[in-house]
Amino acid sequence: MVVFVATMSRPPSVEQTNPGASEERVGSATVPEFRPRTGTMDQWNAAYVRVEDYLRAHRIHNRLHQSRLIQQVLERAARRHEANPSLNPIALAAEETEQAMDLWFADMLDASGQPHDRIAVDGRLALLLCDGPRRWPYAFLDRAQPAPDFSAAMRAGVIQAGPDMAVSNMSPRPIDLGPIPEAAGETMERIERWPILRTLLLWLVFAGALGVIFYATR
Amino acid sequence: MRLFLTEKMNPGRLSRRRFLFFSAIFAFTSIAAWFMADLLWTNGLLGLEVALLVLFVILFAHVAAGFCTALVGLYVINRGGDSSRITATLPSLDDATLASTAIVMPVFNEDVSRVFEGLRVVFRSVQETRRLEHFDFFVLSDSNQPNQWIQEEVAWVELCKQVGGFGKIFYRKRRHSINKKAGNVADFLRRWGRRYRYMIVLDADSIMTGRALVQLVALMERNPHVGIIQTAPRIVNGETLFARVQSFSSRLYSPLFLAGLNYWQQHEANYWGHNAVIRIKPFIEHCSLPDLPGSEPFGGRILSHDFVEAALMRKAGWGVWLAGDIEGTYEEGPPTLIDSAKRDRRWSQGNMQHAWLLTARGFRPANRFHLLMGVMGYVSSPLWLLFMLLSTIHVFAMVTSPGTFSADVGTQDTIFFGYHFEIPQAVTLFLLTVVLLFFPKVASVMVTLGRPGEATLFGGKRQLITSAFSETVLSILQAPVNMAFNSKFVLFTLLGQGVSWVTQRRGTEGDVTDWREPIITHGGQAAFGLVWGISSYIISPPFFIWLSPVIVPLVFSIPISIFLSKVSFGARARKLGLFLTPEETSPPYELRRLQQNLAECYRHLPPIEALRADYGLTQAVLDPYVNAMHVALLRQRRQTEESREWFEQLRERLLRNGPSDFTLQDKMALLMDADSMMTLHRELWGAPPEDLAEWWRLAMRQYNVLTNAPTTALYR
Repeated sequence: MVVFVATMSRPPSVEQTNPGASEERVGSATVPEFRPRTGTMDQWNAAYVRVEDYLRAHRIHNRLHQSRLIQQVLERAARRHEANPSLNPIALAAEETEQAMDLWFADMLDASGQPHDRIAVDGRLALLLCDGPRRWPYAFLDRAQPAPDFSAAMRAGVIQAGPDMAVSNMSPRPIDLGPIPEAAGETMERIERWPILRTLLLWLVFAGALGVIFYATR
Repeated sequence: MRLFLTEKMNPGRLSRRRFLFFSAIFAFTSIAAWFMADLLWTNGLLGLEVALLVLFVILFAHVAAGFCTALVGLYVINRGGDSSRITATLPSLDDATLASTAIVMPVFNEDVSRVFEGLRVVFRSVQETRRLEHFDFFVLSDSNQPNQWIQEEVAWVELCKQVGGFGKIFYRKRRHSINKKAGNVADFLRRWGRRYRYMIVLDADSIMTGRALVQLVALMERNPHVGIIQTAPRIVNGETLFARVQSFSSRLYSPLFLAGLNYWQQHEANYWGHNAVIRIKPFIEHCSLPDLPGSEPFGGRILSHDFVEAALMRKAGWGVWLAGDIEGTYEEGPPTLIDSAKRDRRWSQGNMQHAWLLTARGFRPANRFHLLMGVMGYVSSPLWLLFMLLSTIHVFAMVTSPGTFSADVGTQDTIFFGYHFEIPQAVTLFLLTVVLLFFPKVASVMVTLGRPGEATLFGGKRQLITSAFSETVLSILQAPVNMAFNSKFVLFTLLGQGVSWVTQRRGTEGDVTDWREPIITHGGQAAFGLVWGISSYIISPPFFIWLSPVIVPLVFSIPISIFLSKVSFGARARKLGLFLTPEETSPPYELRRLQQNLAECYRHLPPIEALRADYGLTQAVLDPYVNAMHVALLRQRRQTEESREWFEQLRERLLRNGPSDFTLQDKMALLMDADSMMTLHRELWGAPPEDLAEWWRLAMRQYNVLTNAPTTALYR
């Protein structure tokens, strides 16, 4: 598998002069050895956790693929940290992840040149709609030639919240309430403009009710 | 088979039907008024007696209208049904013509799982009719709670993914929720109304089978002069004792009333706001509602829009039919007495506004009657209360004025099998009232027992009779409590006041009783009943006995409310075979599927307690997919310098302090701003832990840890 770091458009000088990366044989596979040269272990642990959380939030539950991606992201972050140790490894790791995703989404959606926010939103949405992480568990951020069905699924991933509009005019039409409600309405609106009058009317009704009860019980 | 002209039946025949119906109401009311006047006349008709008589006539006429509807319904059912019904125009569905139809479901802060699982069932059911190409589905959200809003978006995408519904199922969230449900539907019509010939309006808890939906559209196609066809949804899925009793009574008694209503209404029926098909073009042209004179609650925006829309459609010459015999149309009822009262609070305000429209020019008499019945549905409660309070005063006056009133007033001797009995004169009137009130129940039971196999669907003959008897007892206990609620609502509406409710303590898993809500809600009713009861007993013990069916339920309203709200009692009643309905004993496939799907949804773990209150906001900021989906659904807006700064401050506060001190408006403002949502997502994942609130650190570590996928409203 060709991983995205190998083809990322980073300045070659930084990539080629990374002294922390060498190769170690594990069984028959080649596993690159990586040790950050700057920053503390706690800082890099925190960065590791953050990238892991972010990948998990993307439903990347393939542990093998996940750990490979984390290592690649952290390698790139570590190189940048060596160049500028005042930067926070977490922020660097986040930026690296974001950039890797932008490039990958742009490739997958054939949308290079779009602003970051647009690509990020479209890409994640396409991935969600085609159920990418579950159906193609090794495909996320893989720069190798993607499976044709995966590419097609990614490019088909658009959501349509509503069909094309066909606008109608639906403005309220007055209802002729008839003479009594019209008169009552006008009176009511007048009373509403005079809250004191309304209160007095209310008191009058209350006093009237008391009067009726008084009269009825005598 | 002869198909009648659906626009109108022979006018002479319809006039005869209406003459019979309204004359029967008049006759029963006149006879009762005669008896009442005779009772009151004993010592002369003074002011108080006249007031009592007037109130009695109004109340009795209202009861008689219900009785006569059931009586006519019984007549129709015994004749084997009405040949003049809208469904008779469509002998077969097989080759029925359909047209483009939008199924719209306005939602407002509903249980998202229920809404979308319901929609899934409806969608699948339509799919199975192989007529899906004619239907589009719209969820029209006015939800103003972040959790609901985000969950709706997630659930919509999940549902579309699962059923292949993109391009068929649409979701619209209004930015400004103007004019509530009617405004939401009007907003849909303004945007997309011209694309469709019909719309079928569903409530958030509605279920309609594909067959019923196809039947409705086919009926509209078959009857081009019909504007609205309303179905009679059956109340289903009740779990509490209250809900199960409501479901049972509606299922058992409604056939009689539906047949009776169709008998005299014909093409001038009413619209109940959902589970109905509407012809869009005339609806757009004639049913956009103006404001009423004055301001809310009595004036202003029309709240109960459905009755008015039916009246306007009729005014414009379009038919409105009630298709009570269409199967496969369901809704859910409120689970408790208090929830039912909360709904009544809204409805009472809306129905009272209809008083303005009773004399509106151009409205058909039938529509005026519908509007009047709507008003009376709530105004009858304070009138009933007033009648009884005046009766108490009347008795007090009789007791305290022995010189004026004879001691043996109200009783008379009668001889029965040689024995002398002293019976109150009011017994005849009392019996007449009892007959009118309980006849529909008895007749419904008799009709059901008389149909082979039908009683089995209600659990068997013995269970049916026991259930109907128990329901009658429970309805007697509830009636005074509802009267007290509705009287309060009407009074508060007239005074322009709102009614406050106690917030129920949710999260009480299972069937744990929350005593606080019923005590505070019913406390006033119990105290009123107690004072009234003691006073009436002091005035006259025999009068207290007459009044006890009203006093006792009021005094015991708290335990009655709690008793009815228990799920365990509902389950026990079901185990005993009580209050069973055909939808329970032989549930249709759609309802079974809904229950299974919901059970699966609710089995999953909810979000952890610390995140639950703001889980929607958490997801929209933190989850890469939810964030992208949410942003994609938002409209990008150009911001002013001031608003940019304000949003910047909000974002920083949210990340540094968490959402605990955010108002609902703050959260909604952020969620509506696409730039803020994208920026928050980026800044959250790029910020060192020390720059983030503890709440966010917890959210990032806990999110999606326990399950492979985060908690959403839908699973599978």
